[in-house]
Amino acid sequence: MSDLTIAQKAVGGEIAVRSAPYFPRRRKRITGRSIAVLVFLTICALFFAVPLYVVVVTSFKTMDQIREGAMFAPPGPWTLEAWDYAWNRACSGINCNGLKVGFWNSVAILIPSLILSISLSMVTGYALALWNVRWAGTFLFLLFICAFVPFQIIMFPLISMTSTLKVYGSVWGVAIVHAVLAMPVLVLIFRNYYKDIPQEIMSAAIMDSGSFWRIFLEIILPMSGNILIVILILQITSIWNDYLIGVTFGGFNGQPMTVNLANLITISTGTVAYNQNMAAALLTAIPPLVIYFLVGKLFVQGITAGAIKG
Amino acid sequence: MALRWSRIAPQLALTPALAVTAVAFVGSIGWTIYLSFTRSRRLPEYTIDWSEWGRQYQRLFNDAAWEISLRNLIVLGLGSALAIVFGFILAAMIEREKRGESFFRTVFLYPLAVSLIVTGAAWRWMFNPELGIENVLHQMGLTFVNFSWLASAETAMWGIILASVWQSSGFYMALMLAGLKSINSEIWSAAKLDGVPIWRLYIEIIIPMMKFTFITCAILLSLGVIKAYDVIVAMTLGGPGQSTYVPAYFTIQALSASGNLGYASAAAVMMLVITAIVFLPLVLLTAWQQRRRAESVR
Repeated sequence: MSDLTIAQKAVGGEIAVRSAPYFPRRRKRITGRSIAVLVFLTICALFFAVPLYVVVVTSFKTMDQIREGAMFAPPGPWTLEAWDYAWNRACSGINCNGLKVGFWNSVAILIPSLILSISLSMVTGYALALWNVRWAGTFLFLLFICAFVPFQIIMFPLISMTSTLKVYGSVWGVAIVHAVLAMPVLVLIFRNYYKDIPQEIMSAAIMDSGSFWRIFLEIILPMSGNILIVILILQITSIWNDYLIGVTFGGFNGQPMTVNLANLITISTGTVAYNQNMAAALLTAIPPLVIYFLVGKLFVQGITAGAIKG
Repeated sequence: MALRWSRIAPQLALTPALAVTAVAFVGSIGWTIYLSFTRSRRLPEYTIDWSEWGRQYQRLFNDAAWEISLRNLIVLGLGSALAIVFGFILAAMIEREKRGESFFRTVFLYPLAVSLIVTGAAWRWMFNPELGIENVLHQMGLTFVNFSWLASAETAMWGIILASVWQSSGFYMALMLAGLKSINSEIWSAAKLDGVPIWRLYIEIIIPMMKFTFITCAILLSLGVIKAYDVIVAMTLGGPGQSTYVPAYFTIQALSASGNLGYASAAAVMMLVITAIVFLPLVLLTAWQQRRRAESVR
C-alpha cells in the first residue's frame, strides 16, 4: 500500500484507459440542451473570471476613481501608478522598498530549494525503485505518512534546528525547509515513475559496467525528461505560492513575495490603497499564471500527482 | 537484480533521505509531542511534572478559542464540500458537451495556480463593505443585500468558504473529469436506447461507479481543510474577534503571538490526531482497492 499517490491513481490510471474508441459526436447541430449547458458553463466561467477582472481593473485605477464605488467599471484614465508604487515603494513592516525585494527573495528561495529537493528525491526514488534495498517497503510507507503530517507539528523543532544551523531568518532557511517538506511526496512520485522501468534494462545495465551512479547518469537521467518537467512545474508553483514557510523561516531579510503581499493587504493603519494592493496581488500572481497558461496540462498533471501534499 | 558488490552504493544514496525523515519528521514529531507535556513558555523546558502532564491539553479543551477553531474546522469542511459537488457538475457538463472543453477547463482551473494569499486579497477586496460588491448592488437599488460578509462574526466563515470553493472547484473538476472519462462509453448509448432520463443515469449509475473518485476527493478536501491557514491570514486574520480561528491558525498564534510553546505543541498534537482520523480511511481504502485489483487479476 505504500506505493501510491492515490490521486495519481484516480487520474493517471484512468486517463490511459480512455484512449479506447469514443463514439463519434452525434450531430454538429446545436440542440436545446446543448445551449442550456453552454449557458450554464458560461455563467460559471464568469464566476471564476470576475475576481481576476476586478483585480486587474482596480490595479489600473486611481484611488479617486476607486472611491466613486463603481467596482466593475473599467479604469477611467488607465494608470500604472499603483503598479509602480507596489513594485518600488510599498511597505512590508518597516521596509518600504516595494515588492521587488520579496520578488528577488522568492527567486533566491526558489532556485536552491528546487535543486536540493529535486536532486535528493530523484536519487532516493531511483534507489528505492530499482535497487534491492531490504527495508525499502517500510521506508516508503514512512514517507507516505510523512507526506500527510501537518506542518505545525514539526514547526518548532525545525525553527530550532535551522537556528542552530544559522540559516533561520534567511532565504536559505526557507529554501532548506521547502526542500525537506517536499521530499516525501517527490520521492513517492519519482519512485512510482521509475518502478515501471523494465527489469531487463536494469539487468543489462548492471551487467555492463553498471555502478549505481553511472546507471543513474547514463540511463535513468536521460529517461526522466517528462517527469522532471512535471515536478519542476509543481515545485515552482508551490514554492512560489507558499506563505506559511516563508513567514515562519524568512525572518526580516528572507521574506518571499507572498509575505510582503500579506503584510500589505492586512495593514490596519492609515488609508488603504486598494489599487496598490491589487497591483501587488497581480505582481505576485503573474509568474505562476504565466506558467499555467503556457503549460497548463503539465501543471494539472503535477498538482494531481502531488495532490496528497494537500 | 542487485549484485552483491553493488549493495553499498544504493544504501549510501538513501542516507540523506533517511536522515531527513528521521530528524525532520519522526524526531521532530516526537519532540513536539514531548514539549506538549511540559510547561514550556517562550523557550522550551524539558522537565515534565508528572502529576499534571496533561495540563496543556486540559487548558486547550477549556479554551473558547480552540472550541471555535474546531467548530470552524467542521463548518469549513462541510462548506468546502460544495467544491466537490460543484466540481462534479462542471465536469459532467464539460464531459457531455464537448464544445469548448479546453476553454472551460482553463478558466475553471486557473485559481489553483495562484497563491491563496492572492486569492484572499482579491476576495477581501470584493467583500469590502464600502466599495465592494455590496456597494455596487446597493447602487443598483438592491439595498437589502448584505455582501460584506467578512465584517461580521456570523458571516465571516461564509466568506472564507466562498473563496475556498472558488479556488478549489477546478481541482475537483479535473479529478472528476478523469473519473468520468474512464467510464465505458457504451453506458451512454445503452441508457439512450433504454430511454433512461439523463439525471437518473447520473444518480443511479455514474455516481456509484465513481465512488472511489468521490472518496479520494473527500479525503483530499479534509486534509486541505485541516491545513487551511493562508486563506485565513489573507482574508480575516482570524477575526472579527476570534470568529474565524481554525486549528492551524490557532496553533501558530499560540506559538508566535502568545509565545506559548507547550500550549502550541498540544494544539499541534491535536491537529496530528485529527489528520490521522481522516488519514486512516485513506490507508484502508488503498489497501482494499489493491486487494480488489489483485483479485480481479486472478
